[in-house]
Amino acid sequence: MSFALPARQVTFGRSAAPYQPPQAQPPSQPTNGLALPGSSSYSLPGPSGLALPGPSPLSQSHTPPPPSSALALPQLNGTTAVSKGPTASVPPSTPPAPVVPATPVPLTLEQQHITAVEGIVPTLQNIVATVNLDCRLDLKTIALHARNAEYNPKRFAAVIMRIREPKTTALIFASGKMVVTGAKSEDDSRLASRKYARIVQKLGFDAKFAEFKIQNIVGSCDVKFPIRLEGLAYSHGQFSSYEPELFPGLIYRMLKPKVVLLIFVSGKIVLTGAKVREEIYTAFNTIYTVLCEFRKP
Amino acid sequence: MASAYYEFYRGSSIGMALTDSLDELITSGAITPQLAMKVLQQFDKSLADTMVKQVKTKTTLKGHLHTYRLCDDVWTFIVKNPSFKMESNEMVSAPRIKIIACKNGDAVEAGKK
Repeated sequence: MSFALPARQVTFGRSAAPYQPPQAQPPSQPTNGLALPGSSSYSLPGPSGLALPGPSPLSQSHTPPPPSSALALPQLNGTTAVSKGPTASVPPSTPPAPVVPATPVPLTLEQQHITAVEGIVPTLQNIVATVNLDCRLDLKTIALHARNAEYNPKRFAAVIMRIREPKTTALIFASGKMVVTGAKSEDDSRLASRKYARIVQKLGFDAKFAEFKIQNIVGSCDVKFPIRLEGLAYSHGQFSSYEPELFPGLIYRMLKPKVVLLIFVSGKIVLTGAKVREEIYTAFNTIYTVLCEFRKP
Repeated sequence: MASAYYEFYRGSSIGMALTDSLDELITSGAITPQLAMKVLQQFDKSLADTMVKQVKTKTTLKGHLHTYRLCDDVWTFIVKNPSFKMESNEMVSAPRIKIIACKNGDAVEAGKK
């Protein structure tokens, strides 16, 4: 399958992050990804026992980029009947890539859409994640001892803390819950969250790292042609809200995947509301064909 | 309302001089320690007010903000390689400075409302 998606490879190539638990074996990922298309609540074998839909940071960091991208796709697209091919039975240590060219798997409709979008891949701009540190926190202690922390209980009941690498901001609440925003990739989001948890731990709290969950992913891209928003709003009235006096962009609430798109006359698109990055990609590929129809002459 | 004022100006050279003088007066028996405390409290207030109302000198500062912190209405900034540009166009630089910024007395009162 991976050969069908040459344009995707770049975005998935992520280096291994040091914090990842070594016992989570990557080979289990390809097999499961193929065997369970559409399974969104598949739980990874990891110490935290997190439910990570889609390709987890684990699979991305260990498997070569192309298979990982291809494997991810069946999950968001329950209808896609993906032939399992020989990759499912390949020994765990062998990367599936070299085997694939020998077995031409027919392209699904979804994948044809993807290949149709030439060279435009939405860039992830922001990822919001939540973590439970599972321990009560004294925010004043944190504010006094941590660097780059703000705490003004009159205005907001959380410590606002920032780190430079990965460049993110965390909101740390007294309940031990934490919101981490600003990361540009799932790995960065997780790494940043771990760093914040470590900072809190070093201040003497018994902080754990539980329930890490990506809550929102925002992406953006440019189709590089102007769009007739009125026409789009008219023919897709069910999904669209276009009030140029209130906001210059068209708000498109896609149902499958459940993603909200802001579409601007200039051809610039913002996609938000996704829980996994594949939803952003599928949403873009779906809307791209629609946008082509409403291209300004 | 003397308690509304920070005591950090006592650490400045003018504050140190005042404290030294008051110490001397107390040891020589010229004033009571209570009176000395009153003087210092008035000093805190007067300096805070004067800084706000009468000091108009400005400087601009550029540098790399290494660390910041806000807690209890006090901002702390550690700036690396700052360069100050004074009004006289004089440039002053340092490897690292720490800025502690507090609200002045009036603002503290306003903040409570």
